[in-house]
Amino acid sequence: MPARSPSATPPATDRPEAAGTRVADNRAEAAENRAALIELDALGPAGPFRSRNRLPITDLAGVPLAELSLVPSLYVHRAVAALRAAEPLPAADRFVALARAGEVFATQTVAGLSVEEYSHAVSRISGMPISVVRHATETTWRALLGAGRDARQARPQASVDDWHDPATQGGRAVWTRRGEVFAVHASGNHPGVHALWPQALALGYRVAVRPSRREPLTAHRLITALRAAGFGPDQVAYLPTDHAVADEIISAADLSMVYGGDDVVAKYGADPTVLVQGPGRSKILLAGEDWHHHLDTLVDSVGDEGGTACVNATAVFTDTDPDGLAAALAERLAAIPTLPPEDDRAVLPCQPTEPAAALERYLLDHAAGTTAHLGGAGITDPVPGGGVALRPAVFQVDRADAAQTGIELGFPCVWVAPWSPADGIGPLRHSLVLTAITADERLVDRLVAEPTISNVYVGDHPTYWMRPDVPHDGYLGEFLMRTKTVLRD
Amino acid sequence: MTTLHRDPILDGPVDLIPAETELIEAAMRWHFDPRTGSRFWLDQADTLGFDPREDIHTAADLARFPNIVDRLRHVPAGDLIPQGYAGQDAAIYGVYDSGGTTGPPKHVVFMADWMERLLARTDQEMDARDYPRGADWLALAPSGPHMFGAIVRETVRLRGRLNFTVDLDPRWVKKCIAAGHPEQADQYADHIIAQARAILESQDIGVLVATPPLLERLVRDDELRKLIADRVQVVEWGGAHMDPDTRYLLRTEVLPRTRLIGRYGSTMVLASAIERAGLTPDDPCIFDSFSPYVTFRVVDPETGESVPYGSRGRVVMNHVSKSVLLPNNLERDEATRIEPPPGRVGDSVADVSPVAVFGDSPVIEGVY
Repeated sequence: MPARSPSATPPATDRPEAAGTRVADNRAEAAENRAALIELDALGPAGPFRSRNRLPITDLAGVPLAELSLVPSLYVHRAVAALRAAEPLPAADRFVALARAGEVFATQTVAGLSVEEYSHAVSRISGMPISVVRHATETTWRALLGAGRDARQARPQASVDDWHDPATQGGRAVWTRRGEVFAVHASGNHPGVHALWPQALALGYRVAVRPSRREPLTAHRLITALRAAGFGPDQVAYLPTDHAVADEIISAADLSMVYGGDDVVAKYGADPTVLVQGPGRSKILLAGEDWHHHLDTLVDSVGDEGGTACVNATAVFTDTDPDGLAAALAERLAAIPTLPPEDDRAVLPCQPTEPAAALERYLLDHAAGTTAHLGGAGITDPVPGGGVALRPAVFQVDRADAAQTGIELGFPCVWVAPWSPADGIGPLRHSLVLTAITADERLVDRLVAEPTISNVYVGDHPTYWMRPDVPHDGYLGEFLMRTKTVLRD
Repeated sequence: MTTLHRDPILDGPVDLIPAETELIEAAMRWHFDPRTGSRFWLDQADTLGFDPREDIHTAADLARFPNIVDRLRHVPAGDLIPQGYAGQDAAIYGVYDSGGTTGPPKHVVFMADWMERLLARTDQEMDARDYPRGADWLALAPSGPHMFGAIVRETVRLRGRLNFTVDLDPRWVKKCIAAGHPEQADQYADHIIAQARAILESQDIGVLVATPPLLERLVRDDELRKLIADRVQVVEWGGAHMDPDTRYLLRTEVLPRTRLIGRYGSTMVLASAIERAGLTPDDPCIFDSFSPYVTFRVVDPETGESVPYGSRGRVVMNHVSKSVLLPNNLERDEATRIEPPPGRVGDSVADVSPVAVFGDSPVIEGVY
């Protein structure tokens, strides 16, 4: 999922300057309306729908902040049928509407929430540090500005966008949709997940999003903004459902994208209509390099974005001094303060006490037999206002193929492992991002060739580096589009 | 011989509904008299710790009985017939099973006199809700071991014309889903919908009876939805739950001119409760039971005590008639407790649902 990309080049489109000032203005309003519940209505083909079956969405202390309207399967099927029956907007209108929606999303009051009220609510509900939420808002804005261009990065060079292109007169590949309705089972780990699927709108799909109960606000805000910007209610829908109805969205849509862990991979992995966004298990390899020179990159890769992203490093492999590396990582990560997520300086994610305790038990059970450098006595630390911060954990394993190096948890948690050329690339497989800090080109050859590694960053680059015009896990367009020959007179 | 055991209350006119205590006291005398009671209940009598003929007078008193329905899985069903029916011609209507979701099915014996009372009641209920007379019906409902198909058949004989049916086997569907083959359940549902389509396209159906999942599949297809919206006067659903939002959508958007009427039944009460007349799409869907024969209580399952009106609880059902005694059966359904209509006994129930399961399953590992 998209995350912070400090080195990203913003798309060529002009960046509106209003964001900063409006955010400042909105801050004054943020305290208002706290008592009233945020109503997250379903957004279907006939407009907002407040269902009778509403799920309370609570903050870290268990206080209800919002109500999510869960829709039944009949609503889902009718909504998807309406999406399928609708014509897409003309391409140029789509790009304009996406750009406008980005500005609305990032700068205006949407569905009754100012930008700051939205950010605060997301941080209180999901426990995500508010600075990460704010940054994701900007990232999403940039992604929407460039969605048309970025989506088309996946187009094969030999093809054209439209059969009207003169090139088809002699016979030419045309890039076309594989279906009409695209469904997204979004995840709630990071608001930036919603920066990707708007590319499907850019490509002319109609899109139905099922939000996560862990953080249903961002999708509601974004879809409300898309509708305000020109996408009709038959173009993009917000369909919260309970677990039982969730599959109906996938079966009703033509193509789907589903975020999830190994269970989701097992369930949908063989379905050619489902693009699974599975575990990230991003890793860093240091081979023939002195880790002292790269400590900042290691720390950032583990802890940036609150450690909640699939592009955060789950394991670090080194061929030199894993003890020293683990100790240095632990020292740096231990310095991060415990703060409630709505604090501007917060870096660590927070969770309600109970799930955090379960997470802690899970970690400590699975860390048995490893060397704890940080977090060995537990990782939860209460924060004012309810809930606990998830403090960083650094554990050292004694072999490169230790099973723990694949345990990805939603906070800064890293497994440090020894590695030698004799271990080969086996332990490095199944990585969304692999940062290889090495001068060994033969090794890089093998990493780039390895099918289960999605992205390879060679040199001192954090695992969370990302830019919308390069693939995150392949281009979304590779899944959504196909080529066909058009030959005409 | 044949008129040996008539009881003025239990054998009263079918359209005369006895008072609560009259009925219950007469039924206790009947079911626990060694000459008239069933072998099944006479065998239990000594283990009850009370004398039903002395101690049970009201529907509330039925809570003193143990819940015996699990024994209906194994007891010889003939032992359930009250011996007082002996020698009476055509006294037995049939034997029917529970759904069979949990373990072997439970058997109940349906006596002809109960069917007669139930139909007289159903006829009144349908008149009050403006069901057409003389119409052709289409029922997507299980026959075979299930009571549902038989009751529809008798109802159409009483007040309809032709009874078109599409059979279904709910146990097979449950088996497919339990075995992790939802796609087989899907195929089976498609098979049923295809049969229903052929009938809806060629016949003038005035009343459609279906389970909520099948009704939903029918109207998902816009051609079928239009056929139903244009022709069918009453759509009656039952046999499974319908959530309030689906009911609202059906009544307002999907079939706005069709009368949609729900039934909440159970094999264990040999009847179903019909949706109260006059409810709006936004009202809770309230079901009133055929009291005092069939009564409901909404209880806290931990304490067995009634929950306050308007609160959710588990449904306890009782059936008391000449033909059957099935008291104090705790169902798996949840419902809102509602005051019964004036003069009726027990609770009415609203928004019946299976035990709620919300949202995403808890996942620890991974970031999503």
